[in-house]
Amino acid sequence: MRIRVTSWLWRMVLFVWALTVLLPLFWILYQSLKTNQEFFADIWAFPSHLKWGNYEKAWTQLGIGKSVINTLYYVGLSLLISLFVSTVNAYAFTRIQWKLRSLLWSVIMISLFLPGINILVSQYTLMRALDLTNSLNGLVLLAGLPVGAFELLLLGSFMRSLPKELDESAFIDGATLFQVFRKIILPLSMPGIVTIGIFKFVGLYNDFLGPFILISDPDKYPISVNMYNANAMMEFKADWVTLLAGLVITIIPTVIVYVLFQRRIIEGATMGGVKG
Amino acid sequence: MHFLKSARFQKAIFLFIVVAPAFAAYVLFTLYPNALSIFYSFLDWDGIGVKTFIGWDNYIRLFQDPFISRALQHNLILLVTVIPITLAISLVLADLLVNRTFGENSFYKVLYFFPNVLSLVVIALIWSFIYDGTFGLLNGLLQVFGLGGEHNWLGSKSTALLSMIPLYVWCYVGFYVVIFMNAMQGIPKSLYESATLDGITHMQRFTKITLPLLSGVIRVGTIFLILSVIKGFEYMLIMTKGGPGGSTEVISLYMFNLAFGGLNLGQHFYGYASTIGMMIFVLLVGLKLVVDKFFAKDSVEY
Repeated sequence: MRIRVTSWLWRMVLFVWALTVLLPLFWILYQSLKTNQEFFADIWAFPSHLKWGNYEKAWTQLGIGKSVINTLYYVGLSLLISLFVSTVNAYAFTRIQWKLRSLLWSVIMISLFLPGINILVSQYTLMRALDLTNSLNGLVLLAGLPVGAFELLLLGSFMRSLPKELDESAFIDGATLFQVFRKIILPLSMPGIVTIGIFKFVGLYNDFLGPFILISDPDKYPISVNMYNANAMMEFKADWVTLLAGLVITIIPTVIVYVLFQRRIIEGATMGGVKG
Repeated sequence: MHFLKSARFQKAIFLFIVVAPAFAAYVLFTLYPNALSIFYSFLDWDGIGVKTFIGWDNYIRLFQDPFISRALQHNLILLVTVIPITLAISLVLADLLVNRTFGENSFYKVLYFFPNVLSLVVIALIWSFIYDGTFGLLNGLLQVFGLGGEHNWLGSKSTALLSMIPLYVWCYVGFYVVIFMNAMQGIPKSLYESATLDGITHMQRFTKITLPLLSGVIRVGTIFLILSVIKGFEYMLIMTKGGPGGSTEVISLYMFNLAFGGLNLGQHFYGYASTIGMMIFVLLVGLKLVVDKFFAKDSVEY
């Protein structure tokens, strides 16, 4: 009997934490369908009718429509470039023998020990000197091109596990390096590439500080900076329900990607956790 | 011979196209700024005008600047609250999810992790609404239970910083639940079985077997949390801008404001901000060493 009571108690503990995650999200959704008057009058009262118009207003007046396009461009292009870079580099560093390999590998691994917080200023002045500030392409370059230690470690360990005979027999059959990479290594590494891709997508979509520092033109804001800006404007406009609708729009892609790929996202995130 | 030549040529071309640009970009955008920030830390520079080399002056200023010690105190308050609370909640939740067989457990794991994929702007704005003085969720809940509910949590000096604690915990717990669950599932069942035969309770099993075996993971988790808490100033940047009256200004935010804010200063201090960046760097490394020492690395063997 006592066991059953404590068991239910623990079950409640789990439920309460689930509630802390869910309640704020549902609350946002619920408020975003009210009018401002209803929102100010009583936060618990039901909306008299569901105001989907808030979403239309958010899309146009808060500039979310435009920022979604910017985000698609920035995230899409960065993702493509960085996946290409990570994959080919993982291949070059794990399956090809060359002179400077281990030296360059250790130089790249240095970044695991750099916290990154100390370079906010210097990275900005560098980008400014290269005339890459206030440009989505500048962001893409910064996010996509540099080879990342984490991606290299993860994909590298994946490719190392593939048997050596795969490339060797292909070379004997006269395949070129490019063919071996494209026809053999790439398809076999797909699971690892997808995991990194989804994980990167989440990071890029949520990225705030980089675009916030580097982009000053509101027409180029990605969605995260746009929402920050919209919130700052609300101090004068006080159109909170529209802001909340914008917030829900911002969350929707995250929810979709998470529902579809939660296993891979959790896997990728916790692999990153091991690096410490 | 021709084959060898062309294979070698292929390799060179491949490496040149593939490795060279990405590695150059890494050196340029990651390593070089780190070196640059060391250089900047010795400058008096507003970002536009002349760079004046002032030797160790910025470093001496670190120790005289009252805002530094205030910001570090705020960091310390967050560290000593957020880390133990996050670890404790995650350990308990992970233990419950692993060792109890409730039907909803697998759903909970996924749900708990969800805040990790939310954008930090979204999280910051959600929590701004939770804490709002007039239409906030927290005040609404307090009113329902008849516990007041008129307080402007982020707007008052006494509660603004403390209000950040639940936010951080909320963000981090899901990640550590998964980390600890993975570690707990790696503990051999046989260890528990023999203990269960000896009539051990759930609680004893958790404190006597699980926790000691997890000490390595907890150490790594602590280091990770230190990094996250000290680096993660964006919530304050978005929610309070360091206010009211500087009560939520943590060290990274102070650095950020010196360089980019210009809110009340009207001026940018790139040199001094870089010096603070160097200090944070040293602080993070130092804290990592302390934690490593504190949790003696006696490897656990099953």
